Amino acid sequence: MVGDKPIYVQIAEWLENEILCGNIKENEKIYSQYQLAEMFNINPATAAKGINILADQGILYKKRGLGMFLSAKAKEKIQYQRKNHTLKKLVEEVVSEAQRLGVCEDELMGMLRDARKELDEHEGEGG
Amino acid sequence: MSVISCTGLTKNFRRVKAVNGLSFTIEENRITGLIGPNGAGKTTLLKIIAGFLRVSSGQVMVFAEDPFNSLKVSSNMIFIDENMKFAPSFSLSEIMLAASSFYKNWDMELAKGLFDYFSLDPKQQHHNLSKGMRSTFNMIIGLAARCPLTIFDEPTSGMDAGVRKDFYRALLRDYLQNPRNIIFSSHLLSEVEDVLEDILLLQNGQKRLHLPSSDLKGFAVALRDKTEIISDLTAGQEVYYQKSVGKDHSYVVIRRDAADGLAKRISAAGVEVLPVKSDDLCVYLTTRNRGGIDDVFDRN
Repeated sequence: MVGDKPIYVQIAEWLENEILCGNIKENEKIYSQYQLAEMFNINPATAAKGINILADQGILYKKRGLGMFLSAKAKEKIQYQRKNHTLKKLVEEVVSEAQRLGVCEDELMGMLRDARKELDEHEGEGG
Repeated sequence: MSVISCTGLTKNFRRVKAVNGLSFTIEENRITGLIGPNGAGKTTLLKIIAGFLRVSSGQVMVFAEDPFNSLKVSSNMIFIDENMKFAPSFSLSEIMLAASSFYKNWDMELAKGLFDYFSLDPKQQHHNLSKGMRSTFNMIIGLAARCPLTIFDEPTSGMDAGVRKDFYRALLRDYLQNPRNIIFSSHLLSEVEDVLEDILLLQNGQKRLHLPSSDLKGFAVALRDKTEIISDLTAGQEVYYQKSVGKDHSYVVIRRDAADGLAKRISAAGVEVLPVKSDDLCVYLTTRNRGGIDDVFDRN
């Protein structure tokens, strides 16, 4: 699905992930539209659109003439947003697909638990 | 500030209207992609903007002047296409030297850097280059000239995939350092769309779309399901493309905002919603037959 999203949404999500994993700290300057344009080989206007998505959500704030900075509690904001929108939507999709296939609730919960276990094991191996 | 503006622009070649009542404006320091099928009027439009052709009717303004016979436009503009001719006795390095005295913003360091990177031979002559090499050299001239208005008409014809990729990257990086007005026409939208700020789509000499490149990707979606469900859903909607799939299924392309309006009904019916690639969309938008080439084969 990733490739189907507009580039500026992908840029916003990439920045979110950088923030979530702690690569950008609160009150730190984030990449400029020109840096992003060069990194992702895209037009700077498109990169600016991605930055503006986060600015509109209050995750970034602007310092006149200096650029965009990461707001306080930005990480929490993103986590909240992702949980209540992205994750919720994904779960809804999973549930409706399960319904279409006649998978009962217990079976579905079992599948979720298995998936989680597998992921934990992988992480254990990795670490 | 708009750098180029056209109102009711028309250009006739005998009885053919190559450009037909075209109106649009291009704002300062943008990279605009001119897209459209063969014969849509792309080259004619670019030549009018460059001041090579006089309009039949309507108005065109470039840097606030009529470009035809305008010294201001010609001294601030470079037009790159595959028919570029240079003095036949000059070697490639001599052409670059001549260009450096002709174009006031010429960047010899960039020109030489690109020249070496693409392994061109300084002693070679322009008319002896292969098609791809000639396009590469012309591209170097176009970038290094750093003209406030840089026009590329099908600059990548004959270039291999690797060189094309390098060219888009070079264009973007040079633009980031030296923002200027760049227009270029191309048939390979999927390769260039990310580098473009705006897209101007032409069809039969008329404007079909003019919008930010980043908006084109989400402009339309495809719906796929049983034909009766699809035709019921899309009744009264503008359909850009449709084809039948298998025995009783249909694939239909409509505007995304139309699909958003039908979102509840679409998800209730479990209809598949698929993304539409921008170059496919441009083809759908500019072909007369809603079924495309399949219409030729599926006539009964």
